[in-house]
Amino acid sequence: MSERSLNIETLLLHGVPPPDEGTGATIPPIFQSTAFAYPSAEALEAVFAGREAGYVYTRINNPTVDHFERRVNVLEDGLGAVACASGMAAITAAALALAGAGDEIVSANSIFGGTYSLFHDTLGRCGITTRFVEATDVDAYRQALGDRTKLIFVETIGNPKLDVPDIAAIGRLARERGIALVVDNTVTTPLLVRPRELGADIVIHSASKYISGQGHAIGGVIVDCGTCDWSNARYEYLRPFHQRVQQFALLAALRNQVSKNLGGCLAPFNAFLLTLGLETLGVRMERHCSNAVAVAEFLGTHGKVEQVRYPGLAAHPDHGVASRQFHGRYGALLALRLGSRECCFRFINRLQRVRNLANMGDARTLVIHPASTFCRDLSAEQREAVGAGEDLVRLSVGLEHPDDILADIEQALKAL
Amino acid sequence: MKIKVNGQAVEIPDHLSVADLLTHQKVKMPDMVTVQRNAEILDRKNFAATKLAEHDEIEFLYFMGGGAGVAGRSR
Repeated sequence: MSERSLNIETLLLHGVPPPDEGTGATIPPIFQSTAFAYPSAEALEAVFAGREAGYVYTRINNPTVDHFERRVNVLEDGLGAVACASGMAAITAAALALAGAGDEIVSANSIFGGTYSLFHDTLGRCGITTRFVEATDVDAYRQALGDRTKLIFVETIGNPKLDVPDIAAIGRLARERGIALVVDNTVTTPLLVRPRELGADIVIHSASKYISGQGHAIGGVIVDCGTCDWSNARYEYLRPFHQRVQQFALLAALRNQVSKNLGGCLAPFNAFLLTLGLETLGVRMERHCSNAVAVAEFLGTHGKVEQVRYPGLAAHPDHGVASRQFHGRYGALLALRLGSRECCFRFINRLQRVRNLANMGDARTLVIHPASTFCRDLSAEQREAVGAGEDLVRLSVGLEHPDDILADIEQALKAL
Repeated sequence: MKIKVNGQAVEIPDHLSVADLLTHQKVKMPDMVTVQRNAEILDRKNFAATKLAEHDEIEFLYFMGGGAGVAGRSR
C-alpha cells in the first residue's frame, strides 16, 4: 500500500519513515545544533550551490525540523513544506514570497485578528495592499481581484466569527484567474479537510494549536501543494527560482531567501514536540469535535446565551458548506454572545476549570474575550468584520469529559 | 555506459531511467531534487519515463542548502 493510499490516522504515525533507522528509534532525535560541519570547503560549497543535499545552519534547515516538515507535508498531500517559528511567521513568509510593494492580497475579512493586523498594518506599511472581503461571498472575492493580486487568503473557519468560506468555490475562482489560494487550516487540521482537494495551492498551519495539542510549543508550517504554476508571469519574484528548480520555485524561494532572510525558523526542540503532537492528532480531533458538539447543543438551548456560533449547528448559516467541506465534523471552536462585555467577563471569571488564556487547540478547554485581547488592536469596524463583538466569548473545547465541561460552563452561566 | 553526473564521469548500467539513476547514485532526498539533463530541467513526472543515453550530462540541483542560486534583485 502506498503512503498516499493510507488513511490519515495511519499517515499520522507511518507517513514518513523513522529518521534514524540505524538505531531503531521511532521518535526523531533532537538535532540541537546550530550548524553542521563538512569535511572540506568543497563539500560545504556544493551544498550552498545546491549540487548536494545537506544541512548547513538551523535557520535554514535542520534534520529534526525537516522530519516535522515531511510529516505535515504527507498529511496535506503536498509537494513540500517549510516550517517557521510560528503560524504568523509562516503567513508572513508565504505572503512575502508571493507579493511585494505595489501588490495586493485579497483576504477573507473574518480571519484571526493577528493575521488581519499583519495584512492591514505590517504588510500595508510595506506597500502591500489587502482587500478584505466578506469571507463567504465568492462574488466579493471575484470583484476584488486585480492584475496585482498575488494571493487569496482564507481560513477554513473564521476566528472568532466561525463563518465557513466555500473553499471549493473560491478555489475554482483562483484557478480560473491563475492566482494562488492560500488556506489556513489551523482550526480544522487535515483530519477534517485537506484544502488541496478543494483547490488550495498553499496550506498554512499554526502548529501551536491542534498539532501541538497541549499548548507546549509555538510553531508554524507552509505546505506548497504543488498545484500552482509558479512560472505564471504574475509571480515575477519566483521567476528566477522557477528557472532554476521549476516546480520547487516557491519552496526554494522560502527556504533559500524569504524565510531564511526573515529569520523566523522553527527551533529543533519545538519541531520535536510538534512531531510528537502530530501522532495523536487523529484521536484528539475526534474528541475535540464530539465535545464541541455537546457544548454547542447545550448552550444552544440555554436561556442565558443570546447566540451560539458553531458551524455544526443546523441553524448556523454555513452549516451546509461546513458539512460538505469537513465531512460531518466541525472543529472545536465556538463563540457565545452573552449580551455585554460585563456578562462575558463575569462568565469568564466564574469558570473554574476552563482556562482563560490566549490560545486554542489545547487539550484543556479554554476561553477568551477576543475584543479585549487578541482583537483589541483592531478598530471597532474591523472587530465587527472579524466577528469579535464586545458581547462575545470564544471557547476552544478540550478533551475533558464532556459532562465536566458542561458542568463548569453551567455553573458560570448562573453568575449572569 | 558512461554519463556525467555533476561534472564527474560515471559508469552506469544501460537502460536506466532518471528515476533509476536517483536510486543507483543513492541520491539524498530524492523527493526534493531537481534534475537537469543536458542543460534542460526535467519535469519530475517524467523521471521514470526518461531513459538515459550515452554521454548524457546530468546535474542534480537542491534548494535545501544556504544558497538561493539566483543572483541580484528579482525585479
